[in-house]
Amino acid sequence: MKKTPEMEKLDNFLRSSRIVAGGFMGEDIRDVDEVIVADTRSVERLGYSLEQVAARMHEITHIAKEGLGVCVDVGAGLKGCVDEAKGRIVCPWPHPASFDKRLTTVTDVESGKEITWSDLHIHLIEEHGFFEGIGSAMRIEPVKLITIIF
Amino acid sequence: MVTVFISVLVISSIGGVLALLLVLSEKFIANYGICTVDINAEKQIEVQGGQSLLSCLVEEDIFIPSACGGRGTCGYCKLKVIEGGGLLLPTETPFLSDQEQKDDIRLSCQVKVRNDIFIEIEKELLSVRQYECICSGIEDLTHDIKLFKFGLAGSEEIDFIAGQYVQLLTPVYFKGGEEVYRAYSVASDPLNKGAIELIIRLVPNGICTTYCFEHLSIGDTILMNGPYGEFHLSDTESPMVFIAGGSGMAPIRCILSHMLNTGSKRKAVYYFGANKVSELFMIDEIKQFENDLDDFRFVPVVALPDPAEHWTGLTGLVTEAVESDLENAADYEAYLCGSPGMIEASGKVLAKLGVPEGKIYFDSFA
Repeated sequence: MKKTPEMEKLDNFLRSSRIVAGGFMGEDIRDVDEVIVADTRSVERLGYSLEQVAARMHEITHIAKEGLGVCVDVGAGLKGCVDEAKGRIVCPWPHPASFDKRLTTVTDVESGKEITWSDLHIHLIEEHGFFEGIGSAMRIEPVKLITIIF
Repeated sequence: MVTVFISVLVISSIGGVLALLLVLSEKFIANYGICTVDINAEKQIEVQGGQSLLSCLVEEDIFIPSACGGRGTCGYCKLKVIEGGGLLLPTETPFLSDQEQKDDIRLSCQVKVRNDIFIEIEKELLSVRQYECICSGIEDLTHDIKLFKFGLAGSEEIDFIAGQYVQLLTPVYFKGGEEVYRAYSVASDPLNKGAIELIIRLVPNGICTTYCFEHLSIGDTILMNGPYGEFHLSDTESPMVFIAGGSGMAPIRCILSHMLNTGSKRKAVYYFGANKVSELFMIDEIKQFENDLDDFRFVPVVALPDPAEHWTGLTGLVTEAVESDLENAADYEAYLCGSPGMIEASGKVLAKLGVPEGKIYFDSFA
């Protein structure tokens, strides 16, 4: 399918380093919409919706924030750690939305599996179904995420 | 086949003519000529119309805080446009409160100068300057925090108030990147006017911190502008409590140097929090202020010390340490520097201890 000029612009923007060093797409050669469709399918195959995933991420971040950087018990056998940095980060989609630079790292105590997301990730998943391209330093693998947080 | 070729040629020609017309119209029809920017009814500068107000001011060496390079995404470059700024844009409204909109506050990066324009800028910003700085040292403080030392090029000097910050211009170092400014509190002694020290923590994928940690080398020249900010000591004699974590050490270190330089006799206690003993830094240096200042106490606090680290100081969250350790707090002024979460939690604890809200000053990361 031919990309609209808007999609072309977004794709270029996501591959640039204008918001994060290295961009959001990594080495992924697929179009943004292909990445979104594939990851959304992965989430749905496991019986969840993007909204449910984002809601759970919100919930964990909210509890972990109370630790002020120290890992705390966030329930269901998980430990959560929140790390905050100076400034805000904006959503790369063309709409006004910005977020605290906050990273939440969740560890499954039993398996030792660990995953990290930012407040921006929660928005990208909830509003745009975007988990970042394969090879991006901050990509979240949907299956790994769901396996850990649910 | 010939028909297709002719059609493509005709369409391409029409496209080419339209593009040419656009370029010509931009040059001649949308040429706004020279416009005057009136600043505080005191100073007038003449600029080429058609640029953003922020760009016009930067060209005249008037620096307004801006982290995003004028893309309208940080919301920092606010100033008052009294007349001539045109209508408020949808790109500005998310960053402006109702009161700011009523007060004619605008984002200077979104205001295009198309005619004479009348603006108000805080007087302090008019003294902000750009400095060429040469990196003279990089020291590891923890696994993700470094001290960056810069000397000002030539015989330049910077005057700043302890607690203020500068903006570091990150050059393009990544394909598809662009220059951005990031703000960092000055960590060095204000008396040392020929140098600037910054304490920077690595942000994963952060544009500026990645540059500083992975690309900046000793001897490199970078640009900074400043000073900015309202975070500084009051001129009272009230006792003070400082609370900081991580790179929040920077402005407090600078303030302590200032207290030493001015012979301050104010009572002060500094709680510095870290998660592990290995994340504490500059401990000996700050401890030395206990000897050098009249009435100063330094309390490093470790949240989760490893038994192997043999930590004998206070443990727990820095806010818990303040709550259990600080006495007669109602008389105190509080100076906080750290993450939004730490500021919020400290504010609650200080309120519980009786510190009036108006006496809690903070340099939030946000």
